Amino acid sequence: MAEVRLVDVEKRYGGFLALPKQSLTIEEGEFLVLLGPSGCGKTTTMRMIAGLEEITSGDILIGGERVNDKPPKDRDIAMVFQNYGLYPHMTVQQNIAYPLKLRGVDRKAREARVRETAEKVELGALLHRRPSELSGGQRQRVALARAIVRTPKIFLMDEPLSNLDAKLRVSMRAELKHLHHELGVTTVYVTHDQMEAMTLASRVAVMREGRIVQLDTPKKIYSEPADLFVAGFIGSPSMNLVEGHITGGRFEAPGVSIPVAAAERGDVVLGIRPEDLELTTAEAPPIRGKLYALELTGEATLVTLREGATSICARGPAEFEAEIDAACALAPRPGARIHLFDKTTGQRIAA
Amino acid sequence: MRDRSLQYVLLVPAFVIVLATTFYPLAYSLTTAFRDWDLTRSRRPEGWVGFDNFAHAFTESHFLNSLWVTTIFVVTSVALTLVIAMSLALLLRRKGRMHTFTRVVLILPFAMSPALIGVSYRFMFNPEFGVLSNGLAAIFPWLEGTAWLADPELAMAILVLTDVWHWAPYMTFMCLGGLASIPRETEEAARIDGASNIRIFFGIILPQMKGVLLVTAILKTIFALKMFDQVVTLTGGGPGTSTETLAYFIFNVGFEWYDMGYASALAWILTAIMMTISIWYVRMLLSERKMATA
Repeated sequence: MAEVRLVDVEKRYGGFLALPKQSLTIEEGEFLVLLGPSGCGKTTTMRMIAGLEEITSGDILIGGERVNDKPPKDRDIAMVFQNYGLYPHMTVQQNIAYPLKLRGVDRKAREARVRETAEKVELGALLHRRPSELSGGQRQRVALARAIVRTPKIFLMDEPLSNLDAKLRVSMRAELKHLHHELGVTTVYVTHDQMEAMTLASRVAVMREGRIVQLDTPKKIYSEPADLFVAGFIGSPSMNLVEGHITGGRFEAPGVSIPVAAAERGDVVLGIRPEDLELTTAEAPPIRGKLYALELTGEATLVTLREGATSICARGPAEFEAEIDAACALAPRPGARIHLFDKTTGQRIAA
Repeated sequence: MRDRSLQYVLLVPAFVIVLATTFYPLAYSLTTAFRDWDLTRSRRPEGWVGFDNFAHAFTESHFLNSLWVTTIFVVTSVALTLVIAMSLALLLRRKGRMHTFTRVVLILPFAMSPALIGVSYRFMFNPEFGVLSNGLAAIFPWLEGTAWLADPELAMAILVLTDVWHWAPYMTFMCLGGLASIPRETEEAARIDGASNIRIFFGIILPQMKGVLLVTAILKTIFALKMFDQVVTLTGGGPGTSTETLAYFIFNVGFEWYDMGYASALAWILTAIMMTISIWYVRMLLSERKMATA
């Protein structure tokens, strides 16, 4: 266990600036998720921590020790890859034992340790199979076992679940979370799946175009997104974002008139999550429009309204039914969180 | 239905040509192998002699010599080609600025006719005006005056050299393809797990290259077993019979000594050797496939 610090780290490929200078501290025992769309630099950041990618300037410290010039094997890390990275010519047993073998652990101790680790990830019965004889979920378990077998200081996981089918992904997610609780090892986890980020992380770093735009607890990121990008990226279905202006203490846009506690200004974007809206029959509703689509998700119905260019989605009761194109009205639920962003900078406007 | 039968009718000429040019000579040579046929005596094969031609081969030192020469040639040239091809592939794997250039340069030796390779190497190793013999003598003075192609061991070495020079680049491309198909993650995982570069190569990369290397070895072995062109144009089988490969010996028996029956028998022995080796390789390859996919 150790903390990881990136101090003024910058990464360039020739003249191309991939990651601008920035710092990041990952606390000891923390589960930090790097979240962002593909190409945002999250994997590069992780590979720099691993030592698979050189940094152009700055320092990387693991447990207070500068590791810039240390090869991956001397950083005491373990990594789980998206494509598992298993050794195809070795059995499960040999795969898991390989890091121990390379570190000169004797045969007896190695076998005991492999058995113990395999039990932990429920691979005990598969030790003599080859990776090609395993399912995706089993392969990922082997990769996990190989990572935890020598109790490294840091775990690095690069989209470990994205090659699995949806159902397996959810159950493996819970296993990962439990494993982290059990081992308490500092973990850096890369994903583009906001659901994974929210469920697994102690803190999430949302990245965009090489920059960390927000670093906070999942709760905080969900309830107080720092800018329009984070607001739109986190949450499913995503937050409604409506362009308009504020006059006389109300946010105004075509079909929308919501009281807000903010000073008069133009060019703002109002954000409100679907679950913060409800259907209403009030006389002068804050949001009016024509019903555009109804989507039953099981426990709720997603109701989408359109008015001009504005499209707004609300989470309504599962039993709600109406004709498409019927007039429909929405209102913020009591205690709903209303977010305001500057349209030009995208930054959150403090309420 | 008429269209269907027309299809077959249209195929007949091609089929006949193939039969006439390959199957017929093959069958003819097989029967000839069991007959006595001296071209200087007769225009047609004469009496049946059973396995005499085959038996003769295994009691004749000339044939046994060519078998030995071929074995040495095959083993050294296959081994050297594979090692060099694999090493070059590792060097060329990373995409650099010279990437395209080096690849184009690499393919050039393969574009040359083997017979011409023999001719040009004979000139380059000429003791008086050869660029290689003189160049080597300039660097290593004690090599001054070496008659390269007049020495049995050196002549064989040069024969192997020309063949490796010809084939290694092509085999390098095969190895490059093999390397490209290895997932990068296995190598990176090994680096993180603590493996040194040498260990990564022998423990992670090489085992995953096994299939490609086997196919490369099969091809190279078959081509080496047929070695003929450079023997004709570079050494003429000499000095003595020191570079007389099986293919060259068979040619001599048939078209210098006109003993067609014996030459046919020898040709079938060579075929049998090739088939045995190929079957053995393919078996290894299949069991390798099984391991990788089962």
